[in-house]
Amino acid sequence: MSKPRGGFSAAVLSLLALLAIFGPNVFGLKDGEMAPPYSKPSWMDKSIVSAETLTVKSDASRGDVSYSENIRWNYAPPKRVSFTGRLDFGRIEWVTPNRAFVLSDKPGEIDLDARDIPFKRAMGADPFDDMASVLFPVSGDYSLRVVGQGEISMRAEGGRWGLLGTDHRGRDTATLFVRGIRVSLMVGIAATFIAAVLGMSLGLISGYAGGIVDSLIMRIVDVLMSIPTLPILMVLSSVWGKGLWNLIAVLSIFSWMGTARTVRAITLSLRDAPWVEGLRALGAKRNYIVFRHLLPETLPLLLANIALGVPGAILAEAGISFLGLSDPRLPSWGRMLHEAHAYGAFTTGAWWTILPPGLGIAVICLVFMDIGRKLEERADPRLAAAARPDAESVKEALE
Amino acid sequence: MKTFLKRAGGALAVLAAVLVLNFFLFRIMPGDPLTAIVDPRFSPEAKAALASQWGLDRPISEQFLVYVREMLSFRFGLSMMTGAPVWDELKNRVPNTVALLLPSLVFSTLLGLWLGIKAALRRGSLVERIVLLGGAVSFSFPSFFVQLLLLMCFSYAFPLFPLRGTSSVPPPEGFAAALDYVWHLALPVFSLTILGFGGFALYIRNMMVKALGEDYVTMARARGLAPRRVVWNHAFRSILPPVLTIVLMSLPGIVGGAVITETVFSMNGVGRFLLEATNSHDYPAASAAFFLLALLTVICNLIADICYVIVDPRVRREAAHE
Repeated sequence: MSKPRGGFSAAVLSLLALLAIFGPNVFGLKDGEMAPPYSKPSWMDKSIVSAETLTVKSDASRGDVSYSENIRWNYAPPKRVSFTGRLDFGRIEWVTPNRAFVLSDKPGEIDLDARDIPFKRAMGADPFDDMASVLFPVSGDYSLRVVGQGEISMRAEGGRWGLLGTDHRGRDTATLFVRGIRVSLMVGIAATFIAAVLGMSLGLISGYAGGIVDSLIMRIVDVLMSIPTLPILMVLSSVWGKGLWNLIAVLSIFSWMGTARTVRAITLSLRDAPWVEGLRALGAKRNYIVFRHLLPETLPLLLANIALGVPGAILAEAGISFLGLSDPRLPSWGRMLHEAHAYGAFTTGAWWTILPPGLGIAVICLVFMDIGRKLEERADPRLAAAARPDAESVKEALE
Repeated sequence: MKTFLKRAGGALAVLAAVLVLNFFLFRIMPGDPLTAIVDPRFSPEAKAALASQWGLDRPISEQFLVYVREMLSFRFGLSMMTGAPVWDELKNRVPNTVALLLPSLVFSTLLGLWLGIKAALRRGSLVERIVLLGGAVSFSFPSFFVQLLLLMCFSYAFPLFPLRGTSSVPPPEGFAAALDYVWHLALPVFSLTILGFGGFALYIRNMMVKALGEDYVTMARARGLAPRRVVWNHAFRSILPPVLTIVLMSLPGIVGGAVITETVFSMNGVGRFLLEATNSHDYPAASAAFFLLALLTVICNLIADICYVIVDPRVRREAAHE
């Protein structure tokens, strides 16, 4: 089962990457579009409508007095109803199967929302009534009518929206989800890459130089490894601000230690290997040995290390965003979960704001660990096991 | 003794690093502390008076020494939000954090040990599959996501556990209060246990499989010792030191994770205090909470080190020699 698995992970990863780059354009998703908060996914409940619009326009050349458009309503009342348009003279009516409402009989611009209290009073309803259900009391035929000259359009929004519903602000969850891939991938890869370069340099220096430099670097590694990372990330994000690049910088400063240890272990084992000794005997300079021979030796494993380190960075980013310490303008999976938790997605049972981002993070982490494992096996299983005792356990977890 | 001194030295180094970080992090901000707190319309004389009152006119090395002394004696200064001493606020929260982390650590370690050894003894069984699954979950699922799901299932859909907090409102009295506390802690501790055991169990399983293949285990079996004795007295004892190392290495993550757990379950702990302080840019409070969390890690590390001396005969013998 091991062969096709790596290909599968790579495929999932490329799919996610493609979605991250082209996703918002392919789906034609618009950030500005809003729907009622916590609308259900559009495939979920067929008894409510996602959104309907109805437009009536008078035509002076026809010389009629009354123009109307009909709509057949078989759903539950919508969440929001609004009317916009213009009246030159006459009146505008909304005809339900039971009765007719005169929406306006004064010439001028019309901008009515069923939630407005003056509108409710004008229709003879109580200010605490749900006006949408007054305007859509039963299923049947409704019509919007212009008697005179004017133009009016009605928009009714139900509790259904998009592929994955909406969040507490009425934003499309599917759009946010697709946008979130970008943040996760970027933070994960950028932070781990910087950390890997840092860790590799320090590991090489430490392993090859030895002596006081080595022990100094290793003490720093020990100390940094025993400081709880999340609190320090929080403090730093409060001091430095909530930007994405700040987060990447901070994450990479606090995650190079593992790589440094690995590279140091490899360098130590290679430093006294016969072929390196041979190079030294031939009069090779230290820089030449380190950069032309030791570095390429550690490179494949380093690649694996990057892949295995990405989940950690993604989880850390998600944690910081979940705590609300990320850039609020930037939709990310952690931030989606933060908002779901902070704005009562539970009490509305809005699982669609919780499951997609959470599972997204888990899938992306699993994918990177699988790829890392593959890279590690290709690099050198012996070295991998020697340098990372827990590599074994990660490997087995995925089998 | 030498090993222990070395470890204690390491702990002191961590503490020193935390103090240095804490001190300088809040001083690399743009502007000086005065502009951050004081109204810019204050006269220069008033500013100077305040600076000398707070000791900000003295050299930075002296400020640092004063800072270290104050931190080590738990005088964290006044909160910029409430104006009350930070420690008064924090000291009520430390027990909550400890009550959350200690049982979770104990349960996840014990569960990890038990399942890991079971999985090593019965390869290919259901237990082994649980261990592998638990490992995958603990390596790839965000903790808060799992906790949110648990909250959704067991507090909202089936309201068996409270949705938030550390005690009911109004708090019950006497024995009922203790019961209420445990009831509120149950779900957070459970969530941390299922999130944490997988990593331990996987590691223990792998080491146990290796240990069971060693010659001395075969020898013990050949001597006709009871299987239970072979497993526990021979194989298990040999893997105990590395197990302790793993527990030790996971401590910073566990303590740091308290922030998230306390946020999800709205508990009154040090972690959530840190989050609130961070959000309101209350620097004295944030640095105090960070210091306490780091201190908690260092203390746990030291305890683990002492255990190390107890379980590793090589270290123990060396200690006896000194």
